[in-house]
Amino acid sequence: MEPSDWDLVQKCQAGEKSAFQELVSRYHQKVYMVILGLLGNREDALEVAQETFLRVFRKIDGFHGGSSFYTWIYRIAVNLAIDAQRRRKRDRLEFHENLDGLLESQNEVARDPFGDVHDRELREHLIQAINGLTPEHKAVIVLRTIEGLSYKDIGEILGCSEGTVMSRLHYARKKLQDKLNSFL
Amino acid sequence: MNGCERIREFIERRLDAEWSRAEDESVSSHLESCGECSAAQRKLQKIDGALKSMLAGEAAKIEFASFWVGVERRLNAPQSWLRDWRDRWIVVPRSAWAVPAFILLLLGVLSFESYFPAWRGGVARGRFASVDSIDAHGRTVALLRENETRTTVIWLYDEAEDEHETAEEDPKSGPAF
Repeated sequence: MEPSDWDLVQKCQAGEKSAFQELVSRYHQKVYMVILGLLGNREDALEVAQETFLRVFRKIDGFHGGSSFYTWIYRIAVNLAIDAQRRRKRDRLEFHENLDGLLESQNEVARDPFGDVHDRELREHLIQAINGLTPEHKAVIVLRTIEGLSYKDIGEILGCSEGTVMSRLHYARKKLQDKLNSFL
Repeated sequence: MNGCERIREFIERRLDAEWSRAEDESVSSHLESCGECSAAQRKLQKIDGALKSMLAGEAAKIEFASFWVGVERRLNAPQSWLRDWRDRWIVVPRSAWAVPAFILLLLGVLSFESYFPAWRGGVARGRFASVDSIDAHGRTVALLRENETRTTVIWLYDEAEDEHETAEEDPKSGPAF
């Protein structure tokens, strides 16, 4: 039977590095996805994701299981991503280079020579539309869409009420729909 | 709020799995009959699906082994409390320079006179900068401001000229006898 997150956390607190490694293997892709959604930059997202696990390792003794491990780790990830975004505001040119990279890689992943051009356009404009949101609005939409987290969990991660999560989600979706209307 | 607007709120909550069974039934029956609301639901699902597949595709390319190497390198790096403290607390926004620049400019403007006492608004000034007078219930108050020593003299006096002017205004009236 697979050990729970809490079992691994306790082992980690006891000094077992392999338990920490297991936690990293469980969450590295999810954490990376959330951060990539917030930053829109692959290299920065990778760096911030690795930094997130470093913070987790250093702070794990202070985690007493009061909240779920995943809400705790996402809180660290989102805070670091928002800080990184404020610190490393990229210039416009670099952002577009990055955009192209993301889209090219998406086409490679799909490996579909008859891939729907309409969907490709939607993705391209989706990145731009998401980039136009504030970090707080990006965070709710990314956490909700990617992870399927509840309003309560998202509120816990972002330090706001469920009502705020709901209204931010509604606003973010409305913005995205307005910008992507012709591709939907 | 009309029926469709309310239903669209429910649609979002249903998409987020934050709805009740009773709401679900009313939404389902509305969607069967309302083309606009079912199109709105389709759009929301499409945006969610596109975002999820795009980021999942990217995340799938992150191999654990190479990711772990990066984490381990950070774990083994010597810890710098100064860098940690700076990263945690000092986030300098891009336009932060504007605040000290504005304060310096303001201080410069305010202290300009101290450095160039002979200059005021492009006109050289003398010892006495200004004399203002106001009428206060029949008495005139004059304020004499001296610039070099920054002294203000307040001078109260009766306006004797009024009587004189009145006497001059009516020269034809002659002596009253």
